[in-house]
Amino acid sequence: MAHRDFRSAEHLPNLRPDRQPASPEELPRQRNGVTPQMHGRYPDYNVLDEADHWDEVTRRLVFERVERTPSIRFFTKAEADTLGIFCDVVMAQDREPKVPVLNMVDAKLFAGELDGFRFADMPDDRETWRRLPLGLDAAARQHGAGDFQSASEDVRTRVVDALAKGELHGEVWDELPPGKTWKVVSRAILSAFYSHPWAWNEIGFGGPAYPRGYARLGVGQRESWEGDAAFERDPVEDTERRGAQGT
Amino acid sequence: MSRRHELRTLLRGGLRPPENDSAFLLDVHRRAVPQERMARYDDSFSVDLVIVGAGAGGGTLAQRLARRGWKVVVLESGPFWDPDEDWVSDEAGSHRLYWTDQRVTGGSDPVELGKNNCGHGVGGSMVHYAGYCPRFHPSDFEVRTRDGVGEDWPISYDDLKPHYERLELELPVAGDYWPWGDPHRYPHTPHPIAGGADTLRGGARRLGIEMLVGPVGITNGAFGNRPHCIYRGYCLQGCKVNAKASPLVTHIPDAIEHGAEIRADCMVTQVEVDDSSGRVTGVRYVSGGIERFQRAEAVAVAGYSIETPRLLLNSTSRRFPHGLANDNDQVGRCVMVQGAPQVAGRFPDEMRMYKAPPPEISSEQFYETDITRGFARGFSIQTVGPLPIEHAQHVLGHGHWGRALREYMRDYNHWYTLGILSELLPLPENRVTIAHDVTDQNGIPVARMDYSQCENDRNNIAFAKQTLHDIFDAAGAQDVLVTDRYAHLVGGCRMGSDPERSVVDSDHRAWGLPNLFIADGSVMPTQGSANPALTIMALASRLAERLTLKRAGAQGARQQRLRLRPQRSAPSRAGAG
Repeated sequence: MAHRDFRSAEHLPNLRPDRQPASPEELPRQRNGVTPQMHGRYPDYNVLDEADHWDEVTRRLVFERVERTPSIRFFTKAEADTLGIFCDVVMAQDREPKVPVLNMVDAKLFAGELDGFRFADMPDDRETWRRLPLGLDAAARQHGAGDFQSASEDVRTRVVDALAKGELHGEVWDELPPGKTWKVVSRAILSAFYSHPWAWNEIGFGGPAYPRGYARLGVGQRESWEGDAAFERDPVEDTERRGAQGT
Repeated sequence: MSRRHELRTLLRGGLRPPENDSAFLLDVHRRAVPQERMARYDDSFSVDLVIVGAGAGGGTLAQRLARRGWKVVVLESGPFWDPDEDWVSDEAGSHRLYWTDQRVTGGSDPVELGKNNCGHGVGGSMVHYAGYCPRFHPSDFEVRTRDGVGEDWPISYDDLKPHYERLELELPVAGDYWPWGDPHRYPHTPHPIAGGADTLRGGARRLGIEMLVGPVGITNGAFGNRPHCIYRGYCLQGCKVNAKASPLVTHIPDAIEHGAEIRADCMVTQVEVDDSSGRVTGVRYVSGGIERFQRAEAVAVAGYSIETPRLLLNSTSRRFPHGLANDNDQVGRCVMVQGAPQVAGRFPDEMRMYKAPPPEISSEQFYETDITRGFARGFSIQTVGPLPIEHAQHVLGHGHWGRALREYMRDYNHWYTLGILSELLPLPENRVTIAHDVTDQNGIPVARMDYSQCENDRNNIAFAKQTLHDIFDAAGAQDVLVTDRYAHLVGGCRMGSDPERSVVDSDHRAWGLPNLFIADGSVMPTQGSANPALTIMALASRLAERLTLKRAGAQGARQQRLRLRPQRSAPSRAGAG
């Protein structure tokens, strides 16, 4: 485990030769509450600890996300299998615990909660989502795989990367512009993932702040209850020091 | 400090705006607007004016005219918000604040609508605007004459100036002394700013760019029964505090007190016209699944740049087969958005940009034309303070997804973001039309908006982005992420002095329809690089003045009678809640 100081920015993709990030496995594991895959940049910070300071309406809404994962009602089983993998690739959720992104997207589509516009050369967002698994399978087949679900991790990554760059062609993609499809589906995925308090723990976000508000606004300042980043902290030593190893 | 300055500082926050008690009519113990004393008019009673839409334009117009004794009904498609119960400190949970009915967006540079620029409910888009309240510059009203682009307005800055001043007291607006455009000061002192904004202000200063605090429609100190801002950063999700100005708290309470009825959850589907007299007679609307008709002596449409053209184009009759006020094929044309790319920068220290209101500091140093830049008109620079979902969109917009996106998001607390508002030019082919093959839940065809940039627009945006880049470099940013987007909406039913090239005259009256007015941002011929909210309100305020002046002349006797407060016992609508 390399000790890291987050004053430097060397972990960021733009500044690295391969434009890929440092491995999150180098971070401590989350020790308080949950983060997706338990990456612990703020290992002792759990935003849900602050829920007593939130207004009741917000508290109900946020806890519903944690406590009630909606079942899949909009997508078919086959669609959900493919799209579940797709969402995991897009958000790099390679193991539990996972934010149930597809379930959250499914609930919005099932309820008809759309975003107030559709591109002129695109169908309704619900139709876009339905055609996406067919398009992913078609793209995976172009790489020699049977379909997206059975494709290797490498092929899945290539397919998503081509979708993000708007560079898919053939079959579904001759009718459905890939660049705009990416806009539609990524918007829903990000909205689901970063509305989840586990993701707030991972990024050290203060979360709902009514009626308490924020008082310490200066550079490098934190509220007393906000989380401390995990730089220069060895998880093993730290756990021993805090007597928190559990077993 | 001079004695005069001290006295002024002492009085700040204690100054009451003239003829608007909204802040004092709100309840101390709850955020919802008191509605117990609101008048109720019967559909069959021909009110003096029915206003379509309770946003920046409609809300302001209703308050002004109710004060003058007009019997006014405002029909609003969305709900009458209760900030305590309806709003949350949460990004995704604020979906209901936006216009989410279907619309189609096209053109070579299509504009994302919904949450980005469209409101819903009493208060309109100002419920979820950031809070910036700059004035337009005097040059904005004569860009064709000065710069050879866009269109001159039929009115000048001086026509709006007294209304700007009055509204700045009513909102109230807080900020530094403002040296740009027509120099002026603000009634509330500047808010404290977060460390990130201070860092960028320093970076800008090193390049000779001045950034100042504000101007924001956020109370700095208690204002009537509106409390001080608590710096929680959720301005774009609706202010649960009641500190941020929107018509819901700045004009609707006073409108209600003076006899206006705000009828929420009423979707207007058609403005009715009497083909023989050429006058409008009222509006058709749907409430609770039932179609109704409100009679009115005059109609003011204030549905903003997409819904206002849609309503006019859908309001066809034998005499007006192409829609109202559209004899010259002008309705919906020259709809505009501002180029609003954002640049985020990474710093060694934590900035935590979710704290403090997103609108902190801004600069209008690049507002005017400078021919050495290679394009006409300019842009302004503002802080934007995106919350996690918005920042994730920014990271993805730069081209990162998967592990790279997650790594950038884990780094969220080290970032700070600046945004641009580039003045894009009015182009006739940028237009709101009807998408005849798509209908809403009431069976009414929805709007389609087509948008494409011109060369001047692209040059403006590219130059502005480079300027932000330079500011971050000068401020010591270690990495930057850039994303393209748009902000705001104006135009589509512009005012002018030539019926062939405009939809309304300088008094907002539709050409050829003596009692149909347009009272929202769609009347703007150009947009400057200022956020439009304050100017939309100022236009509505001026329109009210013009209407009352005209009426006093033409109908002196009736006007006398109308000065009386409307009776609280005006007949109730059956089934009205």
